[in-house]
Amino acid sequence: MQETYARAFRSWSSFTPGTNLRAWLLRILTNLNIDRGRRAQRTPDQQPLEEGDYFLYNRLESTSGGTDEERILDRLSQDHVAEALAAVPHDFRDVLVLVDIGEFTYAEAAQILDIPIGTVMSRLHRGRRILKQQLADLAVEAK
Amino acid sequence: MSEIDPCDWCEEVLQPYLDRDLDATDVQKVKHHLAECSWCEKRFKFESDFRRLVRQAVIEPMEPELKAKLAALRLEL
Repeated sequence: MQETYARAFRSWSSFTPGTNLRAWLLRILTNLNIDRGRRAQRTPDQQPLEEGDYFLYNRLESTSGGTDEERILDRLSQDHVAEALAAVPHDFRDVLVLVDIGEFTYAEAAQILDIPIGTVMSRLHRGRRILKQQLADLAVEAK
Repeated sequence: MSEIDPCDWCEEVLQPYLDRDLDATDVQKVKHHLAECSWCEKRFKFESDFRRLVRQAVIEPMEPELKAKLAALRLEL
């Protein structure tokens, strides 16, 4: 269990006795950490990231060989997503899990992780970029 | 001309738009642009579908009881 979560859950449990938030997040982390050794070989946080939020779509479209645009998303499997998410460094992944999967607001994620809201936003921004970079690589490799 | 290209601007506000963190005036500007620009519209739709895929890939359904407790908490933030 990561230290950030340990800290966060202390503050949450102090005013939410009996919630299963901890168990819920832990299940997600467990799902992601299967086969961690293989995934840890990637070091996306040290690679330069592609610029722009249209990057993933553009990359998939340019390598799809004229596939129907409606089907572009089908090139990304749920296994790819899980593998890519597991490769995101944990500081960034924590925020992604809370906001993009748990659908917590920025303010709630800041409170849970005990970090400033500006840090939530910057980690979210970079985390999403890393995730897309990983996915683009996986999808193009799998082609 | 210092006017920013509307497609570049939409790309910049894509994430806050989907996070519902954009003010109402900008939301209207985005919607107006997407209605007339299929190039951006496709990319916004992809991003929105992509987020759903990410949620589903590692889905762990919350128990209704936990959801309700968290919903109640949100009022206190």
